[in-house]
Amino acid sequence: MVTFKLEIKGSIKLGKLSPYLYIAPALIFSAVFLYYSIGFTIYTSFHEWNGLTMDQKFVGIRNYVDLFTDDRLFSALWHNLIFMACVIFVQIFGGLLLAVLLKAKLTGHGFFKSLLFFPNILAPIVVAAVFRIMLDPNMGSINKFFVAVNLDVLAVPWLGDPFFALLSIIIVNIFSFLGFAVVLYASGLLAIPEEMYESAKIDGSGFWNTFFKITFPMSHGTTTTMLVLGITGGLKAFDVISLLTGGGPGYSTEVLNTYLYKRLFNDFNGGLSAATGVFILTISVAMSIIQIKIYDRSQRDI
Amino acid sequence: MFSHLRISQKVVIQVILIFISVIWIVPLFTAVVESLKIGGFNNYLLVLNHPKISLPRVTYNSFFIATVSCLAVTFMVALAGYAFSKMQFKGKSIFYYSLLVCLAIPPAAILTPLLITTKVLGLMDTHIAVILPVVALQLPFMLMIVKNYFDTIPSPILEAARIDGCTSFKVFYMIIVPLAKPALINALVLTFISAWNEYLIPLLFIRKPAKYTVTLATTYFSGGMHQTPDLLAQQYAALILISLPSIVVYIFCQKYMQAGLTAGAVKS
Repeated sequence: MVTFKLEIKGSIKLGKLSPYLYIAPALIFSAVFLYYSIGFTIYTSFHEWNGLTMDQKFVGIRNYVDLFTDDRLFSALWHNLIFMACVIFVQIFGGLLLAVLLKAKLTGHGFFKSLLFFPNILAPIVVAAVFRIMLDPNMGSINKFFVAVNLDVLAVPWLGDPFFALLSIIIVNIFSFLGFAVVLYASGLLAIPEEMYESAKIDGSGFWNTFFKITFPMSHGTTTTMLVLGITGGLKAFDVISLLTGGGPGYSTEVLNTYLYKRLFNDFNGGLSAATGVFILTISVAMSIIQIKIYDRSQRDI
Repeated sequence: MFSHLRISQKVVIQVILIFISVIWIVPLFTAVVESLKIGGFNNYLLVLNHPKISLPRVTYNSFFIATVSCLAVTFMVALAGYAFSKMQFKGKSIFYYSLLVCLAIPPAAILTPLLITTKVLGLMDTHIAVILPVVALQLPFMLMIVKNYFDTIPSPILEAARIDGCTSFKVFYMIIVPLAKPALINALVLTFISAWNEYLIPLLFIRKPAKYTVTLATTYFSGGMHQTPDLLAQQYAALILISLPSIVVYIFCQKYMQAGLTAGAVKS
């Protein structure tokens, strides 16, 4: 193969240089916007800055000391973790379970898949507006429904109570992204040979046994993807939360990104906000490296 | 797994699927019902003929931003994905992972630097101020999807073409692009929809109503402190109107999207 390549005159030089030409646009673009921004954020995190004017005053690690002594940061981190764990758990098990049920190919299974995926394409501003009206304690259709079926205990102040506000945020995110998991798992299931199910059936394996012994382990590629996207997505969570609860009531639904945003645009504490940015980036990059390692290993297994 | 289902089992599955469908339909239905309260279809006409905000104008703004963004992203990830998937070169994995790590960057964490750069360059209130960050933030995920899809194209086809004297770029547009159509359409559609739906970036970079995007325009109908039931209904009408383009694109492209997503997002 090498000898053939060398025989094509003129393309030898191009051949050596061309991979870099192909990746150059994406790489330069990311460098100019993303790497530069990260550098700026790291620089700012060591300075005092009001976020409006251009002058920054060097303060050493004071922003980091302030950040790590702030209880609000840790409660935001905790909310992020709960939120991520719940959404990822439902996406993986709910998504896979629904994908399995779709395999029965009953009436409307194609419509079902499209319907569940649909919220993915809606703007966060639309999703937030719809749920704000549905979750309204008095006027909202959810509480009206619970009262109508005599389940008054479930008619709670959804967005007004710390616990239920966080639960609402989780539910809205599951509504938005469960369909994505179903679509991914449904196509992953096609790769599992039918004979495996046949022999499991002959061995007398029940539905749940087959689900946990065959379907779940055989879908590990999709599960890894859901984990990767779930964790990075969870750390990025911002739009729907800030539009639906704004981090409230109190700080009960505050996550890392809403904390960062408020520190800058409400408190004009640009340095602390930048330090928060560096903190989130550090977690994200660490997670990404672990995930890339897992990704590579899962690829090597096959 | 479901080759021999009993009727009772089929009924149970069907009931579960219908139950979940209803949960997913109710919010969508709610939006439509809210938009028709008080004024009925008149709400839509009021939104379309709003005195302060020109819907054709903001639609054009969003359409321009979304179109340029999706073309730019798809162009860059197709080229880069080709090199990362089908070529061997020094520093390949470092370059690839340094781009992939950007997947984890939360937009909120890099907004200040972008805001300052935009101000310094005098780009406030321009389309380009929204396009550049949108493109940068969409690149990593689309690169991952497109590169993984390219991985499924067998290399021997490409090598045969090379032996026949094709340049690497000819291989790219004669073989890779046609074969990877689902992944490229998927990248186009997903980027278009994300750019169309983007709220935070235009909120920071656009102040002039003439340059508003569709998402910003809907805030005009919220009425702020003076919220009234008829304004609220109009707001939902506006929200539904701005969702229509995404819905149309989704209906026509969902086959490609599902194929492109599943082949690109899952490594196996």
